[in-house]
Amino acid sequence: MGKLLRVGTTLLVVAVAIAAGTWVWNHYLYSPWTRDGRIRADVITIAPDVSGWVTDLAVRNHQTVKKGDVLFHIDDTRYKAAITEAKAKVEQQRIAWELAKHQYKRRQQLSGRQAISEEDLDTYRINTESAKAAYTLAQAQLYAAQIDLNRTEVVAPEDGTISNLTLREGNYVTRGNAVLSLIKSGSFYVTGYFEETKLQLVHDGQKARIRLMGGDETLTGTVSSISKGIADSNTSSNNQMLPQVQQAFNWVRLAQRIPVDIALDPVPEDVHISAGMTVSIYLGDEE
Amino acid sequence: MLHELGFGGMLFSPLVVFAPIAFALTLLARLVLHQLDLRRLIWKEAWFDVGLFVCFLAAVVFLYGKWT
Repeated sequence: MGKLLRVGTTLLVVAVAIAAGTWVWNHYLYSPWTRDGRIRADVITIAPDVSGWVTDLAVRNHQTVKKGDVLFHIDDTRYKAAITEAKAKVEQQRIAWELAKHQYKRRQQLSGRQAISEEDLDTYRINTESAKAAYTLAQAQLYAAQIDLNRTEVVAPEDGTISNLTLREGNYVTRGNAVLSLIKSGSFYVTGYFEETKLQLVHDGQKARIRLMGGDETLTGTVSSISKGIADSNTSSNNQMLPQVQQAFNWVRLAQRIPVDIALDPVPEDVHISAGMTVSIYLGDEE
Repeated sequence: MLHELGFGGMLFSPLVVFAPIAFALTLLARLVLHQLDLRRLIWKEAWFDVGLFVCFLAAVVFLYGKWT
């Protein structure tokens, strides 16, 4: 009897352990969760469309701005001079066109009296058209100069927060080179990198629970998309356009991770999130 | 839910934290059984101890999931 009890107790514990161990294994390895998630946001890099000195910096670092707010001004002396020049050119071309029109008109009257050849008359007509085109060109150049002048004032393209502002008044900024970044407000989302072994358990519209590092708050969200591709190092080619296939020499290889985007539900007021923060993500409602 | 656990800025996989907890519980249980002189009721001590550890581990994972 005692023997049976001893054997029975041990076997019972072992049997329970096998069941519990299987559950832990499945729960840990095959449930769709990852601790490799990041908060992300839409970042707009702002580059001036004209070159020049920054004369008036209207924002501070990490300042919230509304769409259309002025960020900074670029020295516009040169662009004002360009406007004056373009205006003068327009005037010049307008007068040249007037002159050509006048000359043509005079010669049309002469042509009735057989005092001018057909060819000369044609030349004057064509000169008029050419002067008109030159006038239109000058107007277009004036318009372009005006665009440049308008763009010496750089405005925020969206509501958002200025980030990593190292620009100072007096810096020379170059056309097309980004000088500051704007994090679009309300554009936060989460990207979770799920191991490919778990990817079949992920689908669009799945509910997600998100834990920030070092916070007790659980945020919620919904899977919005699953990436359709990650880089494959075997597809890069050499200078003969042959694929550079990597040798597989290791016994253990790590599962690759696929990005899954999760749209965040509205975040509680007291929770602060920044792009780049690490999060853990658990998909599905059930534990 | 399973999530990464942070201690003083270091982030750990949850199992790295749960396994020592289960181990400590197993040691405790072993000590208690020894004090109560119940270990003579065990047929294969090693099997029993390993089984107990796995049970405790599952319990810790399950309870932690319920708690958070």
